[in-house]
Amino acid sequence: MAQYTRRNAWNQGGGFDNPDLRWYAIGVFAMQQRKLADPSSWWFFAAIHGQSVQGVTVAPGGQPPDTFQWGNGFPTPPTVPTSPLPAQNVIDEYWDQCQHGSWYFPPWHRGYLLALEAQIRVAVVSHGGPADWALPYWDYISQPNVPPAFTIGVIPGGAGLPGVLPDGTLNPLFVAPRHGPDFNGAIYVPTEEVVQANANDPDYANFGPVNEDCLTEDHYTGDANLLPPGFGGGQTGFSFSGSDTGGLENNPHNLVHVYVGGLVLSQDQQTVLQEGYMSDPDFAALDPIFYLHHSNIDRLWAVWNTDPAHTNPSSPEWTKGPAYQGGRPFVMPMPGGKSWTYTPGDVASLSQLNYSYEQLAEVTAAPDRITARLERLGIVARAAEPVPAAPAAGAQVELVGANSGPLRIIGGGAQTSVRLDTQVRGKLMASFRTASQAALPDRVYLKLENVLGLINGFVLSVYINLPQGARPAAHPELRAGSVGLFGLRNASQVDNKHGGHGLNFVLDITKVVDKLYVDHGLDTESLQVMVVPHHPVPESAHITIGQISIYRGPGLEPQGSSEGR
Amino acid sequence: MAAATDPARARNALLTASALAWMVILAGSSGGTVFSHCPAAASGATPFVVSFWTQLAMNSPASLAGGWCLMLVAMMAPTVVAPVLHARLRSLRRRRARATLLVLVAFGAVWMAAGVVLLTIEMAENAIASGPYWPAAAAAAVAIVWQCSPLKQRCLNRCHLHLQVRAFGGAADLDTIRLGLRHGFWCVGSCWALMAAPMLLPRAHVLGMMLAWVPMLAERLEDPAPPSWRWRGLGKLKRIAIARVRVRLNKLGFI
Repeated sequence: MAQYTRRNAWNQGGGFDNPDLRWYAIGVFAMQQRKLADPSSWWFFAAIHGQSVQGVTVAPGGQPPDTFQWGNGFPTPPTVPTSPLPAQNVIDEYWDQCQHGSWYFPPWHRGYLLALEAQIRVAVVSHGGPADWALPYWDYISQPNVPPAFTIGVIPGGAGLPGVLPDGTLNPLFVAPRHGPDFNGAIYVPTEEVVQANANDPDYANFGPVNEDCLTEDHYTGDANLLPPGFGGGQTGFSFSGSDTGGLENNPHNLVHVYVGGLVLSQDQQTVLQEGYMSDPDFAALDPIFYLHHSNIDRLWAVWNTDPAHTNPSSPEWTKGPAYQGGRPFVMPMPGGKSWTYTPGDVASLSQLNYSYEQLAEVTAAPDRITARLERLGIVARAAEPVPAAPAAGAQVELVGANSGPLRIIGGGAQTSVRLDTQVRGKLMASFRTASQAALPDRVYLKLENVLGLINGFVLSVYINLPQGARPAAHPELRAGSVGLFGLRNASQVDNKHGGHGLNFVLDITKVVDKLYVDHGLDTESLQVMVVPHHPVPESAHITIGQISIYRGPGLEPQGSSEGR
Repeated sequence: MAAATDPARARNALLTASALAWMVILAGSSGGTVFSHCPAAASGATPFVVSFWTQLAMNSPASLAGGWCLMLVAMMAPTVVAPVLHARLRSLRRRRARATLLVLVAFGAVWMAAGVVLLTIEMAENAIASGPYWPAAAAAAVAIVWQCSPLKQRCLNRCHLHLQVRAFGGAADLDTIRLGLRHGFWCVGSCWALMAAPMLLPRAHVLGMMLAWVPMLAERLEDPAPPSWRWRGLGKLKRIAIARVRVRLNKLGFI
């Protein structure tokens, strides 16, 4: 049995009756009392993920400077310190490390959780708490509402610890800049179930649902030149604010960040006055719910790994981390003034770290997904026929078509026409016409590229051939997927660590294309792509999708693509 | 063994072209002291004062362009891999070769235009003071300042930035040409000083160019960064080399 088990935050009702949450609050409070420059402080740890303490970053397209800075006009609690700064070499070593849009996204965050947990555990144990305390996780798919321990303003009677965190103290798990999906402070996650249950409520009509579809990804990674980016993200070097977003990172990770953080709009709805901490990577880890969210993301990685077919990359570029590619190493401050330098290979196995989760459900086996597709296409599966042969590594995706220019997202959304090339469409159609159990038709991907903008706090849902005037929520079968714009502002700045490419997303639209084929709607010159934000986007957010394109690829993912193509 | 992917094939072709061009240059240089394919140097290496126009008369535009072009292939082919791959993935399969060509031609055109300026400076320098090292030393000092400047970082950041390429017709051609021109522009902005310094050497051009080439490649490996004054050199290349050596030594049980 593992030494440390991370348990569901909703145990004992998700309040301070849950000892994991009570001790978490005590630990967070202890870390919040320390100075920004102290590597064991709450603030220093938040800056390890990303920070906006130093300097004013410049927004894209000659827009006004970014005014979202730590301590600049955000409501309290908490009161976030912006000084004293650590020495520059300490900043250079530890701060701004979070790995996004990268295959390092899961392992970097796993190490980050372990380090934070070690710091909290020291405080817990020093105040008489359990030596095996571990971070709880928020499984929003089963419990969409945030655990109540995060929403109450003060420590309730009997829940505190006299002399350390007395009853009536401001609750360290509550932050005021947490606005939720409706921008009104109600914190919940719009899952498939929540959205479906409220299908007739106009407030839910445009919500892109949070789901765990990423668990059905066959492969851990792709790279920037070979779609798709897989479960864990595209192959990159050290990637602070990258753009090759993997399935796990996009949904649920990004969507949950954006929904929980939310934003505040001016009365005329035309200006974003502030974003919730969770909406921005440079603020997100200031909010204690961040670590429970990432505990769940880490759990999902472990769940994905429970399928023997789901292997992590074995190439040294991944196992040995970005330092092997000349980039910064992953390094965390540990209790006692020590530091811990780690690689993805060091944290790839949860059991070797002596950790487990209360619930590690197994993933549906791959053959069932193939059967489901055969059924969708009306192909009768026969046991006697051979299992489809996966193409060799190197099998390529190919552009089928694209729209003709940038698409500006304003108000309730925007529509564009994606023209399909006649010849390539012919190949795609032929793969459907000759499909059999042994030769599945092409898989199809939709790529949103160079998504730029000033505001992170929106979720965009993408629909294909949505009928004119139809309510998006009434047509989930036409939804290509949803993307959260977490990190958009950073990714849009040319003279910064990202380089200004913006965010890229690859959505597997095979299911939608199967339906179009069955309904005789695929053999067409163009597909209409509608992008619907979960809340009307003000013009001042300057959100633009540079290009929307469609690619075809082999019916099955190439073998060995997890090995680092 | 798995077949090479399209990006791998394109990358390998460009790297091979670079290697072949270096071989031709090295084969054509006499004892490594005079760079015969750096056209103006063919006349400038001899220690006598000649007029600028005499040098021009001695080097036909075709030979100047050919020599400069060969040097560009050797030095710049690796730096154009990223935009070529970017264009190929965003082009219909039947248009990939055309897109590649357009990116290369546009990129090359910018560097050819830059070559007019750089070669003119070189010939002017030869005309004024052929023989001494001080012009090259002065150019090296300028290159070092430029290498450390925030403006250099701005150029490098934009060398990393490749935006959309449309898929169809004239718009696709226009975007690939724009991609090549833009990449070429920022590449010249980034590398002009490193190119100019060895061109002003009275001898050992090939060696100088090869030495300048290493930081050019190394700095492309670095991620974009906020512009600031700092030394930009071999950092990441060195870190990669050290990491790989450590892994090898570790495997062999030495560390």
